[in-house]
Amino acid sequence: MSGPEPEREWVIRFLDDLRAAEAASAEVLAAWIAVCALDGLRGGLRVIAEREAAHAELLAERLGEMGVAPSAALAEPVRAAALERFGSERVSDEQKLATLLARYPDDTSATRPITDVLDRLHHDPETREILRLVAEGEAATVAWLRAYHAGLVRPASRV
Amino acid sequence: MLRPLPGSERARVIWLLDAFQAAERAGVEAVGRWIVACADARLRGGLRMIRARDRRHAALAEARLRSLGGVPGARPSRELAALCGVVADPGVSDRSKLELLLGRLPAREDAPLDELVRRAEGDAETRALLETIVDDERATVRWLRGMRDALEREGA
Repeated sequence: MSGPEPEREWVIRFLDDLRAAEAASAEVLAAWIAVCALDGLRGGLRVIAEREAAHAELLAERLGEMGVAPSAALAEPVRAAALERFGSERVSDEQKLATLLARYPDDTSATRPITDVLDRLHHDPETREILRLVAEGEAATVAWLRAYHAGLVRPASRV
Repeated sequence: MLRPLPGSERARVIWLLDAFQAAERAGVEAVGRWIVACADARLRGGLRMIRARDRRHAALAEARLRSLGGVPGARPSRELAALCGVVADPGVSDRSKLELLLGRLPAREDAPLDELVRRAEGDAETRALLETIVDDERATVRWLRGMRDALEREGA
């Protein structure tokens, strides 16, 4: 078990990286919502985008309480490519869903990076519970998108 | 149990969204006051996330009802206002607040949440909006239950 100071260092780095990823995700989802052709998918994406933004906001707040200004950012080419693909009207919603879900082959792949940290976070219970609920949110996001995608690609005769 | 809804399909959805956003806003305010008084760091961390999400749920419901031509005007029920008063009260213990909140859930805890989604049946966007919000609400209940059990074990 590490002492509070070394833990603080890696926790700060993890929180900042996660915050940057969540903020970028909210931005990309907003671009998708703007061109999304499916009412049901759009409704779900709206909540998921706000969920990601809430995570980013609270993680930034927590970093501030730890005396750290958030500074991590997604690499600009990665961000620009994601915005272009998910904000494109030429790429179908089904293709976008498939692209996104390919990153999460199983139910735990979206949450594992966070749950791994929970087991090592011994000195900051407030941050630990924030992260526990972030992980729950990520799991809910992947589960909803997977269910929606399955409904979209299922042949009508099998419905 | 939710009250019966008024008139046309659109009016019913607007009513539903209005009632929901009012309830979420009341919850956000009460949880905010609970956080200020809460001495348990674990509980405070989770409550902060719950408040952040509920605030956005209220904003989403309001935006949707406005896009359908509605204007928000609902107020929380007397029962909910009373519950929020207890949750916000710094003189009530954390454990009592958790018991009170979780004690309000019926035996099948999903029933009222499922009903909320079902009532938006004819509007795909609103239905999906509520469905995904309900996922957050379920996570909230699971987490609150875990905290209540932890506090019970510790005799807090």
